Amino acid sequence: MQEKVTPVTVADVPSGSRQRVLGRHASARSYIPVSLVAVIAATGVLVVALAYTYARLGHSGSVWADRAYWAGQGLILLPTAIPMLSRRFLLASETVTLVVILTIAEYLVSVCYSPAAFTYADELRHWRGTVNVLQTGKLSNVNYLLPISPHFPGLEEVTAALSSITGLTVFASGLIIAGVAHLLFVVVLYVLFREVGGSYRIAGIAVLCYSSNALFESFDSMFTYQTLALPFLGLTLLAAWRLASRRTGQERASWLIFAILTIATTVVTHHITSYVLVVTLFIITLATLLSGNRQAAAWTAILALLSAVAAASWLVFAAPQTYAYLQPVTGQALQSFQALAAGQHTSSPPISAGPMSNRLLASMAVLIVSALLPVGWWRVWRRYRRQAWILAMAIASASWYAVVVIRLTVADGIELSGRAATFIYVPMAYILALALAYLATKAVRWKARPVAGAVLVVVLLLLFNGLINGWPPYWERLPGAYQVAGSERSVEPEVIAGATWALTTLGPGKGFATDLGSYPVLGSYGDENPIRDVAYLYTSSIYTPSEALKAQTQGLSYIWVDRRLSESLPAAGQYFPDDPDAGRYKRPLSAGDLDKFNTVPGLDRIYDSGNIVIYELPGS
Amino acid sequence: MSRSRAEIVITAVAAVLACAAAAFHAPVAVMTVIGIILFGAPGYLLGRLLFGPHIVGLERVAVAAGLVFCVPILGGLLLEAAGVPLHRASWLGLMAGTTLVCDIVLFARRHANAAVSRGQQDERRRTPYRHVLAFGVAAVIAVCGVVVARVGVALQHYPGYTQLSLVRPDKNAPTVNLSVDNHEGETIRYRVVLERNSHKTAVWDLSLANGHTWHRTSSFSDRYTISVNLFRLPEVSKPYRHVALYGHGMQLP
Repeated sequence: MQEKVTPVTVADVPSGSRQRVLGRHASARSYIPVSLVAVIAATGVLVVALAYTYARLGHSGSVWADRAYWAGQGLILLPTAIPMLSRRFLLASETVTLVVILTIAEYLVSVCYSPAAFTYADELRHWRGTVNVLQTGKLSNVNYLLPISPHFPGLEEVTAALSSITGLTVFASGLIIAGVAHLLFVVVLYVLFREVGGSYRIAGIAVLCYSSNALFESFDSMFTYQTLALPFLGLTLLAAWRLASRRTGQERASWLIFAILTIATTVVTHHITSYVLVVTLFIITLATLLSGNRQAAAWTAILALLSAVAAASWLVFAAPQTYAYLQPVTGQALQSFQALAAGQHTSSPPISAGPMSNRLLASMAVLIVSALLPVGWWRVWRRYRRQAWILAMAIASASWYAVVVIRLTVADGIELSGRAATFIYVPMAYILALALAYLATKAVRWKARPVAGAVLVVVLLLLFNGLINGWPPYWERLPGAYQVAGSERSVEPEVIAGATWALTTLGPGKGFATDLGSYPVLGSYGDENPIRDVAYLYTSSIYTPSEALKAQTQGLSYIWVDRRLSESLPAAGQYFPDDPDAGRYKRPLSAGDLDKFNTVPGLDRIYDSGNIVIYELPGS
Repeated sequence: MSRSRAEIVITAVAAVLACAAAAFHAPVAVMTVIGIILFGAPGYLLGRLLFGPHIVGLERVAVAAGLVFCVPILGGLLLEAAGVPLHRASWLGLMAGTTLVCDIVLFARRHANAAVSRGQQDERRRTPYRHVLAFGVAAVIAVCGVVVARVGVALQHYPGYTQLSLVRPDKNAPTVNLSVDNHEGETIRYRVVLERNSHKTAVWDLSLANGHTWHRTSSFSDRYTISVNLFRLPEVSKPYRHVALYGHGMQLP
């Protein structure tokens, strides 16, 4: 049996003790009922939607649209965060309701950003994969945008199943699947935190801290395979916890079967999540052994081994391409670390880090988290060092500092650390919650209102930092007109029409050179094979024989030229998916460089829609 | 009817209804309601089968929701491995089949344990009506938000465009396909001028409504260059769109 230590927090102490600790307000309920919080948060969603609509109607640069957006976010975040951090009494059901309200409201905000079709690049990749499954009835279709996804088909399967059965579009089915999966992950996190720590209040604060993760509202709730895999990571951990704490054989058998199902689902849905699951289970096993509970360690070790065998088997027999897919990212990070260790300068600095105020806020958030974690660890050492799971979370939360180092030193570190945050924030959020709950309780005991206020301010700062430095980036926070080499705002009718024309007229799978903005559209709507390393074609004044040879070697058949690339600088800092000049552009691309293909002998100009011209290379 | 029996009946009826509705091509609205019930049924029933009354509340919901996803993901892989194409019939068969099997097993198990489970009743706390009303209002406001956003997308103005394309159906085809697509948002008058080796060989004046397409097939040989200028009338001095194909060895003038 695992030892269960119940921490003392403001809300959890018995009413008599609470009276002594909190004084005359001890049993006072929250000022606003959670149902009213739901109404306020829904109003926040409506205000954000109005801001988006105003921005779409030609006012994306408007100060008022921006203010309305933040006002809406304030209506969502403040009434959900304040009751959880205040000294007033909150029921367990109220805490979980607040967590659910926050998650649903933020998900609806992201739905309102793209309410008619997917526009995020990652979502378009899986949209293409799902359409392929629906059209062919097979899982092993080629997905040019995300070649690894057919080897991890969980998301495409479940979406195709829902779409097939109900007749809903892939977009509507995808929104339902992603929304339910995201909410399920948050609920499972809450349940885990509550069970492990024995406090629903700390569990609520921990989920609040987790939602300050910069990708919480975007990447973790998008229509992507990671969004679907995350709840299964959580459910497997829940099964591990239950297996270690249940007494009867029948209950253990049920949880073991359930764990096998969730492990299998995680493994076939997302590579990284399955590997994180293996590592997490081994860390918990180690911590359980350290705490001296061998029986619990044995159960966790069984699940760790099962998941390791499943992940390794899938990697070897079903998805051997995973290594090649992940190698460039891990290789680049390792190279940067080696260079750093050798005292050399690392690769190029992060692209488009944002305005100074955003970076300042991000730095403050990093400092706050870095300062609070030791407080949490101290609490773990004082009260929970025999509690294996909390010990494991304390150990895992130390990886936060590694993530900070990656963010500051590795090329593309912001992207890497952002992706890692989804997982690192799970243990970190709990340790932060321990620190915050301790400070809040101390503040009440000391009758130090400023400290209690500071705790609230800290959490709100973390939450708003997550939004400000999350996704969509600052240059696309509000939807609006086409943006050169942007992200969602590059997905517009003329680009979609060009990609659709390519699919219907040229057929799928053709090698295309294109810019960053059109890349995901051409690969999804067009089902073409856009090549990443094509900047050389657009940045030279003449089309040389060596370029023609390189294009041929790359398997390029067509060159997609968006003439708007010569009209403004790229919002993301780079014009092309692999851009050697990323972050260094001082002026837009030359119109002459883009038009040079008109005078190249033998290069057919087969399509012209004004902004977009498509050229066919000889011999294609 | 007891709750435990009701859940078996409802899920079984949903499974049969969904298959029948699909067979008779029921409208999407009907299929959506029945389909979502069917989609959730296997996971819910598997949760009941695996855990029975041992888990409650939030944990039960989470476990059932997880199993809802497990069935199509793992079941789909098994179907694929068995060589069954994953079309509507397969998905319906998987979900309805799993539901009915779970129903039968659950019914048999409950029948055997009837004496034990009799007398067990769920204790439920009623949520005050004012809270239910407030949550209802919140849902309506949130839906309004999504509708407002959707209206915003519909109202968003994008510049119109015209697509002009000229392609060979295949590499050795003796013809080319020429097409003009109007997406300018209004009816436009165009002039299409076809040139071979810079000699005007055909001119078409056309009026295209928004969203309409104009097609022509023309002969083509490797011996010459074919180019098309599209003019947006009344402007005829500068081409509005331009495409060109070159025969092997031909160069631009």
